[in-house]
Amino acid sequence: MGNRSSLLLREEEIAQIQEETGFTPNQIERLYSRFTSLDRGDCGTLSREDFLRIPELAINPLGDRIVHAFFEEGCGDRVNFLQFMQVLAHFRPIKKGRDNKLNSREQKLKFAFKMYDLDNDEKISRDELLAILHMMVGANISEEQLTSIAERTILEADQNGDQMISFEEFCKALERTDVEQKMSIRFLN
Amino acid sequence: MALLWTVVSVSFSIIITPFLMFLLAIIFLASIGKSLGVRRLYVKILLKIFEYGRQHIEIAKKDQRREMVTGSSCEGDGDADADATEDERAAAAASTAAAVERAAGAEAGADAGAGDAAHAPATRRPSPGGGAKAPACNGSAGALLPNGALPNSLSVISREDLILSPVPSLNSANGAAKEGLPRSRSFETLKREFELADCLEFVKAGVEAIIEDEVTLRFEAEELKSWNLLTRTNSWYEFISWRLTVIWVLGFLVRYCFLLPLRVLICFIGVMWLTFCTGIVGYVPEGQFKRWLNYRVNIMCFGILSSALSSVITYHNPENRPKNGICVANHTSPIDVLVLACDNCYALIGQRHGGFLGVLQRALARASPHIWFERSEVKDREAVAKRLRQHVSDPKNPPILIFPEGTCINNTSVMQFKKGSFEVGGVIYPVAIKYDPKFGDAFWNSSRFSMMQYLYMMMTSWAIVCDVWYLPPMYQKEGETAIDFANRVKSCIARQGGLVDLMWDGQLKRMKAKKEWKEAQQEEYSKRLKLE
Repeated sequence: MGNRSSLLLREEEIAQIQEETGFTPNQIERLYSRFTSLDRGDCGTLSREDFLRIPELAINPLGDRIVHAFFEEGCGDRVNFLQFMQVLAHFRPIKKGRDNKLNSREQKLKFAFKMYDLDNDEKISRDELLAILHMMVGANISEEQLTSIAERTILEADQNGDQMISFEEFCKALERTDVEQKMSIRFLN
Repeated sequence: MALLWTVVSVSFSIIITPFLMFLLAIIFLASIGKSLGVRRLYVKILLKIFEYGRQHIEIAKKDQRREMVTGSSCEGDGDADADATEDERAAAAASTAAAVERAAGAEAGADAGAGDAAHAPATRRPSPGGGAKAPACNGSAGALLPNGALPNSLSVISREDLILSPVPSLNSANGAAKEGLPRSRSFETLKREFELADCLEFVKAGVEAIIEDEVTLRFEAEELKSWNLLTRTNSWYEFISWRLTVIWVLGFLVRYCFLLPLRVLICFIGVMWLTFCTGIVGYVPEGQFKRWLNYRVNIMCFGILSSALSSVITYHNPENRPKNGICVANHTSPIDVLVLACDNCYALIGQRHGGFLGVLQRALARASPHIWFERSEVKDREAVAKRLRQHVSDPKNPPILIFPEGTCINNTSVMQFKKGSFEVGGVIYPVAIKYDPKFGDAFWNSSRFSMMQYLYMMMTSWAIVCDVWYLPPMYQKEGETAIDFANRVKSCIARQGGLVDLMWDGQLKRMKAKKEWKEAQQEEYSKRLKLE
């Protein structure tokens, strides 16, 4: 029972997270429960292994990319609760008239863009697209077919002719997609 | 000094004699299979106390919230399809439901004395956090499961889109995988070209899994909707009211100072008696008499042991009680064996253990044919299957009890059944066991607690209350594979017990997800892609 108190959330922390992410105190408490249950070593932070221990995530073709999105560069190999919540905040539904700092359409698109942009240079190259396609289809489709899919996709989306997809081009390509619905999770109470 | 000594010895003798008489009475009654109904009465009283406690917590919580100045009484988008009426009634009780002051908590630590390591990890369980909602936010009531149980309404999110499953044809859009319902044909044949938006589906499914997934929570003790006055089921040391603290302290005293010593004694006597009796039965020559004697002795001894845990077991449909063949049940803890063996005599199959379980195993093996094998032999399926077949082929042998999940699950779901026991042929008697978690959580989290810690926790719970349903026997159909048969039996048990039916393998408790499952998902996706 000794170090339990260090794992409880303080009111100020809840308020701070609420301010930054827009989650309600109840949701924050529930998500904190989840965070601590994933945190096997009781150290207050999560590692990549902690995430990949979730079976549904481990069998997700894009599982590694999703986990990577939690680990910003330069912040080491561990994720604390605030960072955890900031990433999850991207998936809050968009509400009219409410301050949508982290879950605006643009923020959601940025998150999706980061899935493709492996080297974080703000552009999706043909090789990066090919790598993602490999992740999603495994060995079931031949290299030539994948390459042609990648090239076609870039051709359709590229507007300034640099053979790469920038963030603006990405947004334009997903103009007609209901990003709000596809990138929002329905949170309860 | 001498006066004090006299007082102590007199009061001791006053207490000890009725105590011993009481003990003898319990054992005697248990051994002849009759019951005074004391345990059921005790359980009824406990229920009333829990109900009172819950309402009390709710009222206290509402008062607290009213005092706090918060504007968000009801989020507009909280059109929760979570069971809001149930939430209303049980919610505030659930949320941070604790009436334990730090002082009382420390008391628990001190009194529990040496070796109370069990409590520290136990209190780590997250407490349910559904907040008290303003009455205006009533959602519709959640659907009841067939046996009247309510599904777990303590979720944070509602999952409406893709949920990945190890068998991709069962990837589903709504809760547990639907048995034998592959995705609709029209979707399969509708191939689309690759779009940049295709990844969004996987990303959302992945993040939803991070927030809440079907599997990892099965290996932790079940969350309770409202507090049951045990320190181990709440992790928020928030003080609610004096009344509740008093009730908790009283409960604590009753459990530790009265029930615990009583139960330990009964358990000790029970194990001795079991060893003694099975030893005697072992000397009787083979035959009808031995089998009859074995049956009687088993039921008597396990009856005594079950009273060591204050168990109140209700058996449903006794006409389906297995007489021979194979009996399969969902597995929550070693106590499952005890629960089932109080009503019928089984042959057991399992790994040879050391320690306490090993003693019991050796005792039982003397009187009747059980199958215990070494760990190394577990891998040798053929040998085990052969012995199974031998046992089952003799109709005079008692039914053999098998837990096809292979590991303990927390009694909220049934995970994949291993096909080994379904290949043997013969008749399968499914049995569903459901514990009532309010009185004591029977789940044995073997990675966290040792057997002794677990028994200690069992003996300091209120009681073990469970329902056992005997289901009608099932046979393998023509042309049905063992795996399909196993799944059929599993869904039958899950439906009866009100448990979630999962396709996932229980071994995920210890092992990582297999690569093949991910590859199966990749294959599934690639089928949907239209290629140039």
